[in-house]
Amino acid sequence: MEPLFEILVSAVLLSSMYVLAAAGFALVLSIMNILNFAHGAIYMVGGFLCYEFSVGYGLNQWLALALSAASMALFGLFLERFLFRRFYGDFFSSVIVSIAVIFVLQTTINLTVAVNVRALPTFAPGMLHLGSVTVSMERLVTAAIGVALLAAMVVFVRVSRTGQQMLAVAQDAEGAALQGIRIHRLAAIAMAAGCAMAAIAGSFMGAVFDLNSTMGDLILVKVMQVVILSGIGSLGGILIGGLVIGSVDSILPLFTTPAITQAVGVAIVIALLLVKPQGLFGREMG
Amino acid sequence: MTNTNRAILCVCVIVVLVIVPLLIESPYTFRLFILTFVYVTAAASLRTLALSGQVSMGHAAFMSIGAYTSALLARYGDFSPWLTMPMGGLAAMIVAVLVGFPFARVRTIYFSMVSLFFGIGVLSVYSIFGKYTGHINGLIGIPPLFAGARLPYYYYFLALMVACLAVLWRFEKCRIGTCLKAINQSHVVAASVGISEVKFRVLALAMSCFVVGLVGAGYAHYNMVISYSAFDLPASINLLVYMLVGGISSFAGPIIGAAVLFVVPELFRDLKEYTPYLYAGILLFVVFAMPEGLVGIPDRLGSWLKSKHR
Repeated sequence: MEPLFEILVSAVLLSSMYVLAAAGFALVLSIMNILNFAHGAIYMVGGFLCYEFSVGYGLNQWLALALSAASMALFGLFLERFLFRRFYGDFFSSVIVSIAVIFVLQTTINLTVAVNVRALPTFAPGMLHLGSVTVSMERLVTAAIGVALLAAMVVFVRVSRTGQQMLAVAQDAEGAALQGIRIHRLAAIAMAAGCAMAAIAGSFMGAVFDLNSTMGDLILVKVMQVVILSGIGSLGGILIGGLVIGSVDSILPLFTTPAITQAVGVAIVIALLLVKPQGLFGREMG
Repeated sequence: MTNTNRAILCVCVIVVLVIVPLLIESPYTFRLFILTFVYVTAAASLRTLALSGQVSMGHAAFMSIGAYTSALLARYGDFSPWLTMPMGGLAAMIVAVLVGFPFARVRTIYFSMVSLFFGIGVLSVYSIFGKYTGHINGLIGIPPLFAGARLPYYYYFLALMVACLAVLWRFEKCRIGTCLKAINQSHVVAASVGISEVKFRVLALAMSCFVVGLVGAGYAHYNMVISYSAFDLPASINLLVYMLVGGISSFAGPIIGAAVLFVVPELFRDLKEYTPYLYAGILLFVVFAMPEGLVGIPDRLGSWLKSKHR
């Protein structure tokens, strides 16, 4: 019973961390129909920025987190306005643009700060005891924030007027524009929010794991697995997608090699794409 | 460009490429040319696949199948590389056919996703059998094609590239290619005139992967060391970028794209760590200013010059 509980806890924690990382990507994908490959790089830069603000400039770590999120939100606005706006429906052009952004971000980080950085200091030190299981407060806080952010995002999109407009744009951008909805402004908001969430995810993951300039590539694959599994257009479904991938990634390594774990995760996604490409909860890509 | 002009241009380029190695000496330049030939061929094969609308983001994985098959057979089976290279191509083609059937009905962006994850999966499989494939450090001790000398390698890859491009060109121009383009435009209408989507897509995948497997096997026996990092997701994305930036609508697109995007950063090597900025700059410039890709440069120059003459 005990080891089972421990396994469950670790699966839930990892899943929530994936949810945190995937939330921003899913938002941008659902609203703008764009696969923002640069999400991983933004996530990485967010983590480094948080480090610079907190360790480099000595600010309070949560303040540094907020600053990092705000900075990346601004960057997201810049990305939307100047880079992605022209390529709304054009998948391949947005891929190339994303690649270019990734190169620029990774190189900049490599040239400036990456050398002396190892990991972010913890946001929440200490351990928590849940019955017989010990978990680090850090992972718990990260997981909680992940779920909270996703919940906040889902609520916002469902309840608020801006959120409703976003749903309209996601269904039919032209139709929404004809109704007087300012699609560019919504895209900008979605992009800014997505990048801010990426930065927050990067900061927390940078504390739980470590900071390096390639962490974005690794997380991007995981995020895509989660988002494809839960489906394009589905925001709340990320929770389920994250749970599946997170469970696979935390349970399987106990019994088998990391390579097989990755192969299984990939196989699940491929199988789903062959059978139901829209994902578990998604809609057809517009 | 008329057919005759195009043929003359090709012959001129080939003649130049044949003469070039007699003039260069530095091993670095040799390697640059050889790798360019490899990537040009790979990018061109990617386009063959893209004719029907299937844009693969995992093409480097098929290259790796060819490379690892040939390398393993030659290293552990003691077969001659000349025997194992075609087998590498065949292996890639067989895998392509096996996955081609389920993948054939997957449309556009979902196919890109599927191919992306397939590429990752293939590398995971290598990892699982890491004892044979050399784990992350690579598989070493692959028998070379030509012991020692550099020149034969150059001519081999030049010949391979020309042969593969010729075959891919014929493939595209013949009935199969036309059917693929029809499927790309509308698979429903194509089916209504009897063009089987699955059959032709599998054909395209088989042809494309045979070529890239063959060239990958050649790469293995040239490099004598292969590891996962030569065929991972960034490598697949690179091939995709070569094709898209060069211009997906023209056969010469991936050729020019691969040549430019691979050679230009090397030419500006002095920039060292700043080279990715140049690469990103080229990508953004092409995407914003030249939607038809780099192949559009001669036309743009032509019309620009004409407008000046008015």
